[in-house]
Amino acid sequence: MSRYEILSPEGLRTDGRRWNEIRRFSAKMATTTAADGSSYVEHGNTKVICSVNGPIEPRTANARNSERVTITVDVCFAAFSGTDRKKRGRGDKRVLEMQSALSRTFASTLLTALHPRSEVHVSLHILSQDGSILATCVNAATLALVDAGVPMTDYVTACTVASYTNPDESDEPLLDMNSAEEMDLPGITLATVGRSDRISLLQLETKVRLERLEGMLAVGLDGCGKIRQLLDEVVREHGNEMARMGAL
Amino acid sequence: MTSFKRSFGDSCGSSELSSKVFLRSSKGKCTKIVRELYLRRDIPCSSKLCTRCLMDIKGDSYGRKKPFVLSSNAPVNGTIKVPHYIVPDTNVFLHCMDVLEHAAITDVIILQTVLDEVRARSLPLYNRLRALVASGEKRFYVFHNEFRSETYVRREPGETINDRNDRAVRRGVQWYHEHLKEVASDSGKSIAVVMVSNDKGNLDKGKREGVTCCNIKEYVSGMKSSDELLDMISTALENENAKIAKGDMLYPEYYSMSKMMTGVKAGTLHQGKFNISPYNFLEGSIHVPSFDRPLLILGRENINRSVHGDQVVVRVLPKDQWKHPSSKIIEEETMAKNDNPEVEQFEAIETEQERKALIDEAKVSQGAIGEGKPQPTARVVGVIKRNWRYYVGHLDRSSAPSVGGRSQRNVFLIPMDKKIPKIRLRTRQASELFGKRIVVSIDAWDRTSRYPSGHFVRSLGEVETKEAETEALLLEWDVQYRPFPRAVLDCLPKEGHEWRVPQDPEDPRLHQRTDYRGLLVCSIDPPGCQDIDDALHANRMPNGNYEVGVHIADVTHFVKPNTAMDDEASVRGTTVYLVDKRIDMLPPLLGTDLCSLKPCVERFAFSVIWEITESGDIVGTKFSKSMIKSREAFSYEQAQLRIDDKSRNDELTQGMRTLLMLSKKLRQKRMDAGALNLASPEVRIETESETSDPIDVKTKEMLETNSLVEEFMLLANISVAGKIYEAFSQTALLRRHGAPPAPNFEELQNQLRVTRGLTLHTDSSKALADSLDRCVDPSNPYFNTLVRILATRCMVSAEYFCSGTHGYPEFRHYGLASEIYTHFTSPIRRYADVVAHRQLAAAIGYEPLHPTLHSKAKLENVCGNINNRHRNAQMAGRASVEYHVGQALRGKVTEEEGYLMRIFSNGLVVFVPRFGVEGLIRVRDLAPVEPKSEFDAENYRLTVEGSTGSWSVGLFDRVVVKVMDDMEEHTGKRKIKMTLVSVEGQKLV
Repeated sequence: MSRYEILSPEGLRTDGRRWNEIRRFSAKMATTTAADGSSYVEHGNTKVICSVNGPIEPRTANARNSERVTITVDVCFAAFSGTDRKKRGRGDKRVLEMQSALSRTFASTLLTALHPRSEVHVSLHILSQDGSILATCVNAATLALVDAGVPMTDYVTACTVASYTNPDESDEPLLDMNSAEEMDLPGITLATVGRSDRISLLQLETKVRLERLEGMLAVGLDGCGKIRQLLDEVVREHGNEMARMGAL
Repeated sequence: MTSFKRSFGDSCGSSELSSKVFLRSSKGKCTKIVRELYLRRDIPCSSKLCTRCLMDIKGDSYGRKKPFVLSSNAPVNGTIKVPHYIVPDTNVFLHCMDVLEHAAITDVIILQTVLDEVRARSLPLYNRLRALVASGEKRFYVFHNEFRSETYVRREPGETINDRNDRAVRRGVQWYHEHLKEVASDSGKSIAVVMVSNDKGNLDKGKREGVTCCNIKEYVSGMKSSDELLDMISTALENENAKIAKGDMLYPEYYSMSKMMTGVKAGTLHQGKFNISPYNFLEGSIHVPSFDRPLLILGRENINRSVHGDQVVVRVLPKDQWKHPSSKIIEEETMAKNDNPEVEQFEAIETEQERKALIDEAKVSQGAIGEGKPQPTARVVGVIKRNWRYYVGHLDRSSAPSVGGRSQRNVFLIPMDKKIPKIRLRTRQASELFGKRIVVSIDAWDRTSRYPSGHFVRSLGEVETKEAETEALLLEWDVQYRPFPRAVLDCLPKEGHEWRVPQDPEDPRLHQRTDYRGLLVCSIDPPGCQDIDDALHANRMPNGNYEVGVHIADVTHFVKPNTAMDDEASVRGTTVYLVDKRIDMLPPLLGTDLCSLKPCVERFAFSVIWEITESGDIVGTKFSKSMIKSREAFSYEQAQLRIDDKSRNDELTQGMRTLLMLSKKLRQKRMDAGALNLASPEVRIETESETSDPIDVKTKEMLETNSLVEEFMLLANISVAGKIYEAFSQTALLRRHGAPPAPNFEELQNQLRVTRGLTLHTDSSKALADSLDRCVDPSNPYFNTLVRILATRCMVSAEYFCSGTHGYPEFRHYGLASEIYTHFTSPIRRYADVVAHRQLAAAIGYEPLHPTLHSKAKLENVCGNINNRHRNAQMAGRASVEYHVGQALRGKVTEEEGYLMRIFSNGLVVFVPRFGVEGLIRVRDLAPVEPKSEFDAENYRLTVEGSTGSWSVGLFDRVVVKVMDDMEEHTGKRKIKMTLVSVEGQKLV
């Protein structure tokens, strides 16, 4: 038995949310001028900075493809981001996996054929971890790519869904896991493209019963739609701001 | 489906969001814990009067909504004269849970702050509380005050966490007060909110802040059944408020939890379950993995406040203090008769008398050090987990001589279970409770107190009345005997007794069901059996082999997983058979009618059909859900007569003869493989037909037909076990019987060698079976049975387990000499069989397996529970027989033959086969003046020099005893009492 009730019989989670509520979400674009595009996303207590450079001359021969642009992703966990102070090395398997998942997700949404023989470099820094890290990285990268002006078809937005088992064995999907929930429950990370329900990323690292997946997906898709609206607001506000400043 | 978001705007600055950062350092490491709280305004108050909160009811993902709980007709009592809800604080739940569970207390608001604290302090109490809330009958409601913006309280600098929580409780009460005032202006009906606490400081602050509050005693004293309720308030609470610094601590202090854990990890301390010897209340033992023999714990100081069943940590004492297990009987009532419950200060932990008894012990063991190794001894240094439950007993009359008056006083309760020490009780109803069976619970055992202190829970009725005794033994063995709740009965088929097997072949219930209604099936059971689980048939196949079928009641057709009925059955675990009563696992409609394979009625069954050759080899096995129609329900005797009756040659009788023939072959095979034939004394109580009062005791006899049924049931169980293991290698529910460890037999081997020159081989079950067969004493025909009884006691008990938790070699059933085994044949009375049925149904593709049966952890829980229930049911059954034997012999005096099972230096244990009971004869009871006796521990002989001459007895000797009934003063049980009449033909006067 865990220390908290993950979901009380009254339907409230450890932090006071109900099953279908996402945490506080705030985002900023163009946070630094040192990169072509940048963003900062706070999702609950998960905080991520993202900067994008590109399209640029490929830095390695590996990144040169005569057909399309190559997307390289660097993920860096700050040593102070977790509960314990811990440094993650470059070769950390979990980090490598995140990087490849992110680069594959964006490869399907960016119009990669427009910039052959070049590279788009996405660099993500995780400042604070509290669950749903991959999903927050996707959202941050989307904003930074928009800021950098890399051509893409639509927003890629992501969220997570956990599956809670009630004492009577029925299941309850919980939208947007925090770290306590991530620790105790099986859950998926899900990313969709734009308003469509097209899934571009679906990751499941634990075991979950197959019949529950459908319910989790339904809740996840809805959550992604909500995040898309939020990102859209941020982008529009940023656009208006720039217009007012006379940049456009 | 919609999602909501709390936007940053309205949370920033306002109190919607609160984020906390703790930096905690343990072992020099820094850990950051960040918790977010989303404060909200949509948590309802749940009062049925309130219309404002109705909008705040939000559903779960299925759209299910919880209705409001708190009644619009709130209770009124003598202390609080207006309708009110109560809000207890944490210590009320921690110390007075029994009061809150009483039917008189309703409409309670549990604040989240309180709930979290209860959870942190005691998980069992938390679970009881949650169960109260879930049942809904008493209208308990959990209000999440920590998540509601108006009631959230921020911890102030310098404020302790307890003070902050108390403030949160008061804030919650205030909010309710204001909220209900608004509600009152809408509805015109006002309801007060009362904080109930025991903390004086909290009450004072509450009064200052204008919160209506009172302490639990004041509150309860205004109610109708106040005496009863006041006694339930635990003494621990009173001690807390009026803690007097007492000078002398009687018991050594416990180690801290972390010290114990590191010690256990390092191997310097040992953890295990504490057991008290049934013969000596000052001798405990504990089995730990690092020693092959149990560690002895001698004397009160070493036992250090542990109670039978607790999980304790012990430290092994130095080698020069190692001792032999006691060869003396020491009973608490003879030692501690004169203790006064009111006076505490002058007691030492061990009275002079007790110390003397122990020194005698030590001398004996010192003298005997030459032979055999002494056993390691240990001292309890801490308790990991108390295993306290409700205890049943009666008040010690001597502990409070002057009767009368309603003032509160201390009395002793003597538990029925001899292994439990006396419990000190504070009560106002002492004079009413004398001579009654009462239920108590232990609250605490302080270092300053010689005895644990407890509080009164319930009275069962006069000692020795049938109802009280039956209820007492059910409680003692934790048997669920309450009537089935409404929710369970709702799960029964709507047709009731009118339910019939559907005749339409297209009916979905007949899907994949084989029609065996044409077969000549019959059932053989004990006489008067109503819940018929199994039926059999056999016939000859054209190829010369036999087709044999075992048909088991299809309980799982009616009991579907995850229904209230299934939950109830899994909690009950087994049907409990008492002499005059049966406590069912399933509602009687199913157990004795719809599932029961009654004769001449069509019933659903789960069938196992084998093809067996003439020589008893199994050629093929087939499992299927089926329908059958039993032709006859025999008792064992009737079946035997029918088989023996040469004039009957109808097909059914022929089939039964075939079954008998095959069963003998199967049995022989099993015996050749090394199955054990063990004995346990079983008796049957004859009762008067009208009053059902017990009148006589008979030993049970075994007929050929008994073993016929047994053989095929074993075969069915083994076949099913193989099948479900094949299908679910990780989660099959099986039953295993471990090989007994060799040290268990040491004592018995030694006894046999010394007294009879016999050897017992225990290398394998086969060797044991063979050497048991050789244990015969021509002069004593009962000797072999006696040895078998003793050998049975050396065995470990069989257990249910989940196949993923053990390796295949450990699946072995030692007693039956089978590689794999499960229980399948009695689903009406055992829950294990219900699980096996579901797994088999899934294995043959009849229906998919329910998710709960996929989870190893869930199954392990189920196994743990049914193992426990199974053991308790057996114990309860035995206790019931014991009680009825006592009643049957009431007022009678007979002389019976008995055998010596065990010899102590001051007493003998005699086993009387006629009644299947053991009795203790003390040397001091042999003559008015205690005769001199000498105990030769090496040769197991006791020589007594009485006034009329000396005689000596050895182990297993035959004696004649006079048997009469006797009311045991200290347990209040009527038991049989024996006195020695003659030893080996030599008459004693």
